[in-house]
Amino acid sequence: MSVAVEHPNIGPSAASGSGDVMTLHDVKVHYPVKEGVLQRVTGAVRAVDGVDLSIRRGQTLGLVGESGCGKTTLGRVIAGLVPATGGDIWFDLDDSSKLLMERLRAIPKDSMSREDKALWSQLESNHRLGSMSRERQRIYRRNCQFVFQDAFASLNPRQLVRDIVGRPLRVYHEASGNDLDLKVINLLERVGLGPQHLLRYPHQFSGGQRQRISIARALALNPEFVVLDEPTSALDVSVQAQILNLLVELQEDLGLTYLFITHDLGVVQHMSDYLAVMYLGKIAEIGPTEDVFSNPLHPYTKVLRDSNPSLEGDDLDGSAHLRLTGTVPNPIDPPQGCRLHPRCPVSQPECGWQVDDMFQSLETSTPASFETITRVERSGPFAAQLVMTDDAAARHLHEEITSSRSPFGRAVETITLDGANVSIRLREVEEIPLIPVAPGRMSSCLLAGRPGGINPPSESR
Amino acid sequence: MMNSDDWLLRVEDLSVHFRTPRGVVQAVDHVSFEVKPKETLALVGETGCGKSVTARSIMKLVPEPPGEYASGAVLLRNLKTGAVTDMLSAPMDQVRATRGDRIAMIFQDPGKALNPSLTIGRQLAEVFGEHRAAMLLTQAGIDPEKGPIGSGSIASQRAGVLRRNFFHLTRRGHSRAIRAAVDDAVMSALSDTGIPNPRKVMSSYPHELSGGMKQRVMIAQALACDPDLLIADEPTTALDVTIQARILDLINDMQQRRGTAILYITHDLSLVRQFADRLAVMYAGRIVESGPALEVLKSPQHPYTQGLLAAIPRAGTPRGKLAAIAGSVPQLIDPPAQCHFSSRCTWCAEACTSHIPKLIHMPGDRDVACLRFEQADSIGVDPSDMPSHVASAEVVS
Repeated sequence: MSVAVEHPNIGPSAASGSGDVMTLHDVKVHYPVKEGVLQRVTGAVRAVDGVDLSIRRGQTLGLVGESGCGKTTLGRVIAGLVPATGGDIWFDLDDSSKLLMERLRAIPKDSMSREDKALWSQLESNHRLGSMSRERQRIYRRNCQFVFQDAFASLNPRQLVRDIVGRPLRVYHEASGNDLDLKVINLLERVGLGPQHLLRYPHQFSGGQRQRISIARALALNPEFVVLDEPTSALDVSVQAQILNLLVELQEDLGLTYLFITHDLGVVQHMSDYLAVMYLGKIAEIGPTEDVFSNPLHPYTKVLRDSNPSLEGDDLDGSAHLRLTGTVPNPIDPPQGCRLHPRCPVSQPECGWQVDDMFQSLETSTPASFETITRVERSGPFAAQLVMTDDAAARHLHEEITSSRSPFGRAVETITLDGANVSIRLREVEEIPLIPVAPGRMSSCLLAGRPGGINPPSESR
Repeated sequence: MMNSDDWLLRVEDLSVHFRTPRGVVQAVDHVSFEVKPKETLALVGETGCGKSVTARSIMKLVPEPPGEYASGAVLLRNLKTGAVTDMLSAPMDQVRATRGDRIAMIFQDPGKALNPSLTIGRQLAEVFGEHRAAMLLTQAGIDPEKGPIGSGSIASQRAGVLRRNFFHLTRRGHSRAIRAAVDDAVMSALSDTGIPNPRKVMSSYPHELSGGMKQRVMIAQALACDPDLLIADEPTTALDVTIQARILDLINDMQQRRGTAILYITHDLSLVRQFADRLAVMYAGRIVESGPALEVLKSPQHPYTQGLLAAIPRAGTPRGKLAAIAGSVPQLIDPPAQCHFSSRCTWCAEACTSHIPKLIHMPGDRDVACLRFEQADSIGVDPSDMPSHVASAEVVS
């Protein structure tokens, strides 16, 4: 599936032309879970689980999601701080090489012609993270910088500001001695500090000033792309405004591209051209920021928007708001199909209900019949045989499930009763992909393309 | 504001100082406000403005030393009898009896506020053991006036201890009955907060629960004894926005049902609009503005409140054009006698650096501490040294 969204050309376009700074295809980061004395790998935390994304030059892509959704990990992968365990990350693809990359990727490796193979390996050595030549690797490292969330933890407490901000310059042999000091002073002035701050330690600064130092360090090598990982979430509102203004000013002056990671919808709405909403390792929705806010095409986006308290607006009527139920599922064993469906207010039978979801819903809705289950024999995520305490309990459960009008109840394909045994087979569902639903917009909700959209049935009728 | 007789909590001229090697930090500096029964007062301010210290002072939870209650009183009125207690000067056993019973508190980080080594059931039982021992005994069919437990020994800290004592002192049947009564009370407190499976939650430890669930447990614990006043100190700051919305719905709902007054401490002005009846804005240890929440948000008068509201990014603000407040919060170690906001204020004039502005009462039940609303002759300053004047009549219109 192609990931190229038709981006309208908005925002400042840098001198180096258009194209993607970063292109991600099916990127995965799985952290192994080890157990026992032998530290055997028993599973994986799927922090990022198949993300397709492209970041256009000169624009700001906002990445929002709740804690644990994988947004920081995604930022780190893009910045090369964490290796991806699957998928490809491409750096600095202009439009023609992106087309080439997409054409070649579609061809299976063994049926590639000789010329195509040569082109592919050239493309990889120039642009693909992990296969880049040393020279290109250096360019990538210089051009992709990171601003961390906690400015205090990310500044070495035993180093002077001069050394902290000057270090990238020294590592890349850009400057030394007096020249270095002058360059550092220049950088400090760029971010609103001055030469008087050169010989101080991080603890002598306030939170806002520390974040300015972090930004100065990130800008030292004149990068074109900066990953901002919650740069203002530790700051007070009045200081946050200062930093946000500074970031916008720097972007306009230096033609920077930002990936702005945050959980604050107000900030992301203010800062970004494009918005990607993440939930449990996957992108739920992506599109131009204003459109995503005014007309969300994924229930999760709508819930986030409605949950965000605002200073103005018409949200005094709290009843119309969507709310999620339950808690975030375990990323070691995320739900099949749509990741949101067990908590979704508008879930459908085809969202990917599985045996585990069934137990959860039984446990909360009818704890009495849940407690009569004595044994479960699974045959895959969508089918299982339940052994009940007695025939009556089995009949009762059978009745309960067949009469259920919930999306889960309607997802049951076959249910058979045999004495105290109940066999149940649920509708099998593949992963639900992120698909284009409107010009420039993608959503991974089944309802997004349907008439009535993602609104609850009562609203749409 | 201070005249009516219809109040529950009245903080009068409270000052809290902290002695440090570098000098005295005036964390709370002559703060006065009151909370009426059943209302929600939001105390808003940025990091280090003294809002949490104010909240803790109400419960007398500021550690002494280094803390010190330099002046003032925290008066709590018993709504039934009309008796007034000063939390700061009352004897400690009376303070302890009030905490958790008539004033309860929800803390910012539920992960830190719950005891990691006790099950949820045990922790909640403590509250009942401390404040509702008599009720539990009655429910268990034991006359609290009689029996070996008698008067004083009820004051065991934990219901667990309570149970053990009963086991020795009374018959086995009593012990079982008490256990059932405690469990019932805990169960109903938990299910009141919308916890779907209270029996399972009771036997789990805090680390087994999610952040939202822990905060629900905290709320259940706080509201267990039907307090008159609930102090919520940034109850949702550590939570995600979707969980925050549900917790706030819950607090709101509990308030509607029980008529608890809430003192809501937060740094987030956008939460205030949804929840608060009245709003008090703190800056550098002082209240700079207070009044009905919607009015203050609609037409803020103090330069700090104005700046704070303008600094919040919202739809329609052009990018990069946020009105940031220049500078940063001043140090509160032995601060000079001046308006603490003067160094960041655009209206700052000569008089602002030599006078502490007092809260000036204005029409519409609003108060502002800014010299722009003060008359030059009333504080004895040359009019040319004053910032540009605003007549209080302009505020209401």
